Amino acid sequence: MSLIPGLGIVRGMALTLRRFFQPKVTHLYPELPAEISPKFRGRLQLLYDEHGTLKCETCFQCAQACPIECIDMGGVDTKGRYAVHWGASETYGERREESALRRAGRTVPDVAYEHWSPIDLGPVDAILHEADHDPSRLLEILGATQAAYGYLPVAALKRISFGTGAWYAMIYGTATYYDHLRFEPPARLAGSDKAATPALGSGRQRLEVDYLAGLEQAIGSGSKGPAGRVR
Amino acid sequence: MTNLLKTPASWPRPLLGRASAADPTDLDAAVKAGAFEGLRKAVRTLAPVAVVAEIKAAGLRGRGGAGFLTADKWQLAAATPADRRYVVANGYGADPAARTDPVLLERAPYTVIEGVAIAAWAIGAENAIIAVRATETEAIRRLEAALGAAEEAGFIGADVLDSGRQLTIEVRPVQGAYMLGEETVLLKALEGKRGQPEQRPPYPAERGLFGRPTVVQNVQTLALVAWILREGAAAFRAIGSPDAPGTILVHVRGAGGAGIAEIPLGTPLRAILELVAGKTRGKAEGGPGAPPKALLVGGPSGGILPADLLDTPYTFADLRAAGAHVGSGSIVATAADADVVELAELLTRFCAGEACGKTIPCRIGTRRLEEIAVRINAGTPRPTDADLLADLSADIVASALCDHERLATLPMSSVMRYFRPELDAKLQPATERAAGRQRVAVADGEPAH
Ligand SMILES: Cc1cc2nc3c(=O)[nH]c(=O)nc-3n(C[C@H](O)[C@H](O)[C@H](O)COP(=O)(O)O)c2cc1C
Ligand code: SF4
Ligand code: FES
Repeated sequence: MSLIPGLGIVRGMALTLRRFFQPKVTHLYPELPAEISPKFRGRLQLLYDEHGTLKCETCFQCAQACPIECIDMGGVDTKGRYAVHWGASETYGERREESALRRAGRTVPDVAYEHWSPIDLGPVDAILHEADHDPSRLLEILGATQAAYGYLPVAALKRISFGTGAWYAMIYGTATYYDHLRFEPPARLAGSDKAATPALGSGRQRLEVDYLAGLEQAIGSGSKGPAGRVR
Repeated sequence: MTNLLKTPASWPRPLLGRASAADPTDLDAAVKAGAFEGLRKAVRTLAPVAVVAEIKAAGLRGRGGAGFLTADKWQLAAATPADRRYVVANGYGADPAARTDPVLLERAPYTVIEGVAIAAWAIGAENAIIAVRATETEAIRRLEAALGAAEEAGFIGADVLDSGRQLTIEVRPVQGAYMLGEETVLLKALEGKRGQPEQRPPYPAERGLFGRPTVVQNVQTLALVAWILREGAAAFRAIGSPDAPGTILVHVRGAGGAGIAEIPLGTPLRAILELVAGKTRGKAEGGPGAPPKALLVGGPSGGILPADLLDTPYTFADLRAAGAHVGSGSIVATAADADVVELAELLTRFCAGEACGKTIPCRIGTRRLEEIAVRINAGTPRPTDADLLADLSADIVASALCDHERLATLPMSSVMRYFRPELDAKLQPATERAAGRQRVAVADGEPAH
């Protein structure tokens, strides 16, 4: 306890003042892309079939196999305890219901879908027409769609799936695999209409930069960087 | 722009012979210099089987890294019954440190196009794709210009040299991963799918693009095909080594400089290095002709070879026996004080990061390899790490789906093989700790196991 009345406030204000002049640490996401693991191969989403049924069997294979251990399948077990671990799907009350619905051939409502923002499908329809609705020209279609919208809106992916007859899962997997395809509008630097350089946004680009820098170091002409030591 | 290295005048240059043309897309100039003579000969005087026989007689091996016999692939593709067949020219150039393939496409587009047309003629394909890395915009631009001119002149298109056979060649920019260079992955990308490898066999020659027989060939291989048809198999056999005739492009880096060179296969590594080191070695600290400490041969999954292997001939078989491979054609000479164990860690990290994630030995195995390398270099190895490294590498090689994961073990394996004292020095703390624990645990002198 302070003996001088008001000292606490003064101290507090001093801290405020000090912080005021310190550099900001706010990360300008999404203007500046986050650092992504080189292992990143796409974002995760549980998929639904054409009847709106969740395709996940709750088999936990993915959580076990996930190379970066980012999949955590959660559920409440039949005794009502909270449990997040792998096991037979039937032991999880929460998932059991969905499994039962699936097996009964009933639909599991796709809540996420409602959240996807609607877009004008004109451009993507034109692109599909141009590409003859040919699923083997998917990369071309995705590239043109990205050029038209600036990114790949989920609704456009759904449309491409519908138009080409290719499974949405396949289209989604393809779209997440390639570095140049993106799911968000390109980042803009605040207060300017220039797109932010996605400098090291992709983990794979970072791998490449580190590899080349490492070779230079091994040869003896590179400067010591954070990338590696080698020499 | 990547530098082209000067090679001795006595070295033949089937690939880059026309590289100094003022405008490589000028069709008239190229034809004057011999372009499309091979195709003309094939179409006018040789049946498809005779073309395959000529390639077989030349002993041509694929330049994409593995050195598989080209004629065998063509034979298989031609013999597999199908309603259509494809030729895919692999110009992707997966290794960011080796620009050999894009440089070939930039400097000699007609040679590659001619090779594609000959391959298509030989296997009976009417559609061909040349895959190029999307970032190599100059190569793509020139290739497209060259394709346009060649079609206008009737070398390709609706009626190839009035033979009644049609051939459509398409340039496809692809990008997104190192793995796209692997043939089955590339085919997936061309089908518009996610790039993950397929089990081989069946080889693409039997079941490739859209399930049809497909000949996937490196762009250098195809350029050599054009040369062989023009100059004959015997002339080709006269170049290079008996088991691997002909030339190949390499991208060499060393303290003296860097650049791309066309070398006859069988050239000793030392002579290749002299292309860049010759100039400055004398002035370098190491003294005249001082050898590098090690050579990284083959790209990110290459082997790290010690300087006493400098006389190894650059052939598919010799490099494989030495624990390296031709791979991307990249050759890196390290400084005399380079830390090879750290270099191996860097390479392993690249390979692990680029693994596609399809199979477990690949996804998990390469990551564990990287972790072991990190522990060793950080000075915190576990007593079991040396054995684990050897075991794990062998397991990955034995259970791999694609070549990437098999090759990804090479950097660390070659360090185990050639730089054991250095590796042991880094493993030392762990072995000492283990020994210390044993003394305490086994007081009566019985061995622990
Ligand atoms: C990880 C990996 C990357 C590869 N990258 C390339 C490449 O960039 N270019 C290439 O021509 N071949 C590459 N290959 C080899 C191809 O799979 C294939 O063998 C080759 O294109 C066949 O052509 P060739 O017989 O003319 O060599 C790669 C292989 C692996 C395993
Ligand atoms: S739990 Fe099984 S079915 Fe569900 S997403 Fe994972 S792997 Fe697929
Ligand atoms: S890179 Fe994934 S299976 Fe080989």
